[in-house]
Amino acid sequence: MAPFAAAVAGAVVVTIAIGLVSTRFQVPGLSALYLLLVLWLGATWGRGPAVAASVAAFLLYDFFFVPPVGTFNVRGPNEVVELFVLLAVALVTGQLAGSLRRTQSAAEALAADERAMYELATAALRSPEVAVALSLLSERAAHLEGVSRFALVGMDFGNAVPLAGGSLSADELRQATWSYENRRSVGVAVSDGAVRLMRTQPEGAAPAYLPLASGVAVMEIEADRPSPSDMRMLAALVGLADLLLDRRRAALEAERAKGLEASDRLKAAILSSLSHELKSPIASLRAGLTALTAPQAGLNPEQRELLRDLDGQATRLDRLVGDMLALSRLEAGLELEREPLRFADLVGTTLHQLRPELKGHAVTLEMADDLPPVEVDELQVGRVLTNLIENAIEWASPDGGIAVGAGVNDDRLTAWVENDGPAIAPTDLDRVFETFWTRRARGSGLGLAIAKRVIEAHGGKIRAENRRRGPRFTFTLPLARVTATT
Amino acid sequence: MSGRVLVVDDEVEMQRALRTGLRYHDFEVRAVGSGEEALRETASWRPDVILLDLGLPGMDGFATLRALRPTTRAGVIVVSVMPGEKDKVRALDAGADDYVVKPFGTDELVARIRAVLRRQADVSAGEPIIRTGDLEIDLARRSVTAAGRPVKLTPTEYELLRYLALHAGKPVTHTTLLRQVWGEYAVGDKYNTRYVVAQIRKKLGDDPANPRYIVNEPGVGYRLEN
Repeated sequence: MAPFAAAVAGAVVVTIAIGLVSTRFQVPGLSALYLLLVLWLGATWGRGPAVAASVAAFLLYDFFFVPPVGTFNVRGPNEVVELFVLLAVALVTGQLAGSLRRTQSAAEALAADERAMYELATAALRSPEVAVALSLLSERAAHLEGVSRFALVGMDFGNAVPLAGGSLSADELRQATWSYENRRSVGVAVSDGAVRLMRTQPEGAAPAYLPLASGVAVMEIEADRPSPSDMRMLAALVGLADLLLDRRRAALEAERAKGLEASDRLKAAILSSLSHELKSPIASLRAGLTALTAPQAGLNPEQRELLRDLDGQATRLDRLVGDMLALSRLEAGLELEREPLRFADLVGTTLHQLRPELKGHAVTLEMADDLPPVEVDELQVGRVLTNLIENAIEWASPDGGIAVGAGVNDDRLTAWVENDGPAIAPTDLDRVFETFWTRRARGSGLGLAIAKRVIEAHGGKIRAENRRRGPRFTFTLPLARVTATT
Repeated sequence: MSGRVLVVDDEVEMQRALRTGLRYHDFEVRAVGSGEEALRETASWRPDVILLDLGLPGMDGFATLRALRPTTRAGVIVVSVMPGEKDKVRALDAGADDYVVKPFGTDELVARIRAVLRRQADVSAGEPIIRTGDLEIDLARRSVTAAGRPVKLTPTEYELLRYLALHAGKPVTHTTLLRQVWGEYAVGDKYNTRYVVAQIRKKLGDDPANPRYIVNEPGVGYRLEN
């Protein structure tokens, strides 16, 4: 009631002041003094007290200053007009001052919201523990009017994990996962910077779900209560939660990548130590056996022949161990070391290394001079060529030919190795690439299996077919996109 | 040709096999089992060639190589069961003269040792003309002839061939070639060396499938045959 008492008292004070002034000076329009009072009341307390002061001023002025003085009667039309102008101006002024005050208090509330949001965002983003920041945020959201619950769920590599705002039932987690995977919100939506209810939720109804980039916000909002400003605040909090969940996911992914790298290093270390253990004895065997084949060792030709056979066996064992290790390395999925290479160089290097095995076999090259470079692991693809050419040597007729060719098909290099030996049974065309499957009595059954894995690791394909001349193995390799700088 | 060979390998069987095998080929041989002993033996006995296994216990092969290199002019042949080509490159860049993968036959090893000894002899001769097969490189006149026919090379091609020729018989890594021919900035872009070698081969009339001059060392670099 104090504002209204102040309005009446103020009107009385202004009336006395006008009375005092008007007894000494003849000043027209002193009634304007009331407007100051009305303006002040409107700005301080709003429209109500301003209107009350206007009415009180109207009555007091009429009683004391409008002739006939001392009555509420009015003598002429001039005085009537003067009084109503006073009332109208007072009412409009009061109204204006009141709305100014409302705008100001709304601005202050908004500023307070923004300050709170800013403080929360700063605290959340500075907090080294994303979990702490998420709890802060969810608490703040649950304090908004009309919001009875606000929980956050992280989606970690397909699993829903409650992070803040209390636990969720199995059903709720399932619903959250569905909402995340289908990018569909349930019950709420964010539009024009505010959270909006999409359906009326009866008391105790299921919560609403809002999918975010790396998680889901789960909230319960009472349908009749939410104020627009709180819903804007809620939207801002959801935005902040989105950022925080993203940050959390980035950290998780970095950690996982580090873990995978460590496990790759471990695999590589195990394979390298295994290769040391398996190959060292073979190395001593071969060094010893070959030492004794020297004429200076004084052995007779028959003994030397035996040692050479044994060395051949040791070499075979070494090949087998090498193939098994290569296969393990491929199965372990260790990284390829790709670089731009000329396919003709790869073939040349392989043929150069296989000179002793090639003996009388002629190799025909069927490839253009200007083939574009391929982007491959030099040693791995070298191994494929070695295995395929050795296979061709094995099957080609004694003085028969082997052909190696390549051409560009779409955006890949298609290469082949062919020999003039007997055709592969149609049922075996796929089986030749199986591990340990072999057509030979003494083959390891690993060469073509390794070739297939290497080609597939490069994103290519390999297949066997029977051509007019004999069996052909065709494979594809990715092209490189480089130009040399000389 | 004979010489002193120091075997550094922690496997006793390997030491014994190499001692026997190399002696049959007229080398003087001593064998030790650790990097520390290798350093001592190198200082006192002065071997011509050191066979250094990379997988030594304690001070490993790379550490031994780095410690050895400034103190001796002996050729170092690195030996390892590791199939990783990175080790080869690392060893060659650290100053090894050659690299042999275990297991190997005695004949192959003897050939490598002789090649290293021959190169040591060549370097001291310091001839202005390098000849390998029918390839002739005149360092003073910067001219190249293959089978008596003059070959016109670009400056980059000539520099690369000259570097390989100065180290004929020794595998030279891509990194070394890039650094020596192009400069530090080019290290890492192996396609440069591959492209230039292909050009040189074309001009020398060399068949990459059956090279007479420049041989690929897969995963490592190139070697000029001698």
